[in-house]
Amino acid sequence: MREMTFVDAAREGLAEEMARDASIFVVGEGIGARGGNFNTTVGLYDLYGEQRLRDTPISERGFTSMCVGAAATGARPVIDFMFIDFMTDAFGEMFNQMAKLQWMSSGRLKMPVVVRGCVGVGPSNAAHHSGNYSPFFMHIPGFHVVMPTTPADAKGLMKTAIRSDDPVLFLEHKNLLPLKGPVPDGEHLVPLGKAAIAREGKDVTLVGIAFMVKQALAAADQLAKDGISAEVIDPRSLAPLDIDTVLASVHKTGRLLVVDEDFAPCGAAAEIATQVMERGFDDLDAPVKRLNGLFCPAPYSPALMQNLLPTPPTIVQAVRDLLAE
Amino acid sequence: MAFEVMMPRLGWNMEVGALATWRKQDGDAVEAGEILFEVESDKAVQEVEALDSGILRIPPDSPALGQTVPVGTVLAYLVKPGEAVPVQAKPAAAAPAPVQPQAPAPTVRDEAPRRTARQQPAISPRAARVASELGVDWTGLKGSGRTGRIVERDVRQAATALAAQPLAPAAAPFSGRVSPVARRVAEELGVDLAQLAAQLPGRRIERADVEAAAQAAADQRAAAQEAAKKAAAPAPAGARTLPISQVRRVTAERMATAAHTTAAVTLTTEADATELVRLRQQLKDNGATVVPSYNDLLGKLTAQALLEHPQVNARFEGETIIQSGAVNIGIAVDTERGLLVPVVRDVQAKSLRQVAEVSARLIDQARTGHISMDDLRGGTFTITNLGMYEIDAFSPIINLPECAVLGVGRIVAKQVVLDPEAEKVAIRRMMFLSLTFDHRLVDGAPAARFLQRVKLYVEKPYLWLTQ
Repeated sequence: MREMTFVDAAREGLAEEMARDASIFVVGEGIGARGGNFNTTVGLYDLYGEQRLRDTPISERGFTSMCVGAAATGARPVIDFMFIDFMTDAFGEMFNQMAKLQWMSSGRLKMPVVVRGCVGVGPSNAAHHSGNYSPFFMHIPGFHVVMPTTPADAKGLMKTAIRSDDPVLFLEHKNLLPLKGPVPDGEHLVPLGKAAIAREGKDVTLVGIAFMVKQALAAADQLAKDGISAEVIDPRSLAPLDIDTVLASVHKTGRLLVVDEDFAPCGAAAEIATQVMERGFDDLDAPVKRLNGLFCPAPYSPALMQNLLPTPPTIVQAVRDLLAE
Repeated sequence: MAFEVMMPRLGWNMEVGALATWRKQDGDAVEAGEILFEVESDKAVQEVEALDSGILRIPPDSPALGQTVPVGTVLAYLVKPGEAVPVQAKPAAAAPAPVQPQAPAPTVRDEAPRRTARQQPAISPRAARVASELGVDWTGLKGSGRTGRIVERDVRQAATALAAQPLAPAAAPFSGRVSPVARRVAEELGVDLAQLAAQLPGRRIERADVEAAAQAAADQRAAAQEAAKKAAAPAPAGARTLPISQVRRVTAERMATAAHTTAAVTLTTEADATELVRLRQQLKDNGATVVPSYNDLLGKLTAQALLEHPQVNARFEGETIIQSGAVNIGIAVDTERGLLVPVVRDVQAKSLRQVAEVSARLIDQARTGHISMDDLRGGTFTITNLGMYEIDAFSPIINLPECAVLGVGRIVAKQVVLDPEAEKVAIRRMMFLSLTFDHRLVDGAPAARFLQRVKLYVEKPYLWLTQ
């Protein structure tokens, strides 16, 4: 067991897979000699050079489409968008080609692509650098979506994503990158579609998305002081979504709060709430509650950021309101 | 522009106030400086001036008289002649939101329980499932959820209370759909049709349903006994391990709730019961078939005192205090199963003989386990007598939601001072009366005056006979 940061653990996963399989290559802006804006590929260019770490111009649709072609012809590309917001220029390529070619070719063409990028609201990152976009990919058949929150999960899910023959969105929250945690030695894989119980409890279920898992855990500590035992679930994968773990928890507690910094309409929290309503209706003692970020583009001004996102105090208050129902 | 009339902050610490009365009516012309309304805050009532001039317009959703609202709540408007009353505007959200519709938002009334379209109270799905599992009829429950919804904890509390009742059929005949055969079998097997109907909504109850329910209940009892036997670890030598009976469980819960909810104060006074003893002896010598007990006598004279002191015959109900017009007296009875408190209704309207007949019947039913749930509910006052165990005085626990309980001690011949100046003593029959009252509902002086009245009626029984 070693203590590593999230970004180092994800990179170790990538490095191990690249060493295992020579068909894996990485494409993106600044991921070559620079090692990536977020240090996602530090050290790998020295090992493999520009054959496998290819810097691109600022042409997201272009290099995404190139990787779709590469995957279709037998390679295993990793597209590193840096900020997932930039992926939006490649929407057409991703939604119409990457997601569908396996079906349209009756399985003759494979799409073993990993699309990675940093998500989430950071301080003064503002409107063009704070996106999440996970619901877009949850909504389209053909994509898997993973959002690990611990270094161990970052490594395990990166490796599983690379080994998958389907397109996988590997979305890493900016605020999680420098956080340290234990990572097992040796081979470590985390399966797709399996949630983790970050903290056991019995009075209320909290589901957090990405960085909100950390905020929910901080809130749970505060609630424990008042005798409220909160169970915190980290879905880890959003597509496929492990709703059974959430249902088992709601069967125990009767009340569910989903905390997601992303916008409320049609978001991950909406999907979780609906599935719990459909399959766990008789276990609910109160309507499922969602706590989302404010429905507006992320501001630049620090003062305007104060009320933008769920924080441990607002999560604690939401739990109190939910328990009073 | 309309001027808002708001609940003022009349004191440094004032957070809420209640509108006591309007001194001007809707539509009146008001000059700045005129007294406009009165506010009740904490214990004082204060007049409030109008700060502006205009026509007074009190909107329909203005707080009702006596309703407690936060400081700053808009009560009314002062408008220019012909000006429209402004609508309640919501504060602007951080993000641009669509404009709110015109009708002012009604204040959320937490007291009125939510009702669904079918006029049943709202219940969470989980609570409905638990109610079905435990056989609880939830339609009469009050929801503790913030929105008035019935939730799991309400159902579980009701189930605990329900479980304390014997399995005898309910006093009122079941009025739902049930076949005649099923009704007869239900009575024979002691199955509660109302409970069974709650588990089988929309169906006509058939014989098979009743038999299945009786079997299920018997199985449950057998299983519970088995579990209790298994759970009992071998006790250390000389100790006995007992399961917790339902009566014990309910008594424990109610006593604990009373102990930590009420502000209980016990007043004691020693009454000269010589005349009361004489009265009872006369009734005995008269050869009546049913001789009123001391509890019956005390019940009647306490009822008279309660009519004169309605504050003590009261209870909290939500945001109000209800002073009952009837005096329903519960009598604490020690039975094999535990403490039961059957209630004699309308003691104030019954003759002493009627009270004695009813109480004798109820006590017998309680002791033989045949008392109905209705006869154990609805009391407004309780009498508990430990005199037969040579107890002088004690501090009884209030029987919630009542305001007070009277503990009666033994009647003892004592030497008492009749006239300290003349140094005159006599042997009199003395009896301690211990009144525990809830200081949240009534204060010490009124409670003491009530007890003093009871004492007077004990000492001079002919006074209450002629009220």
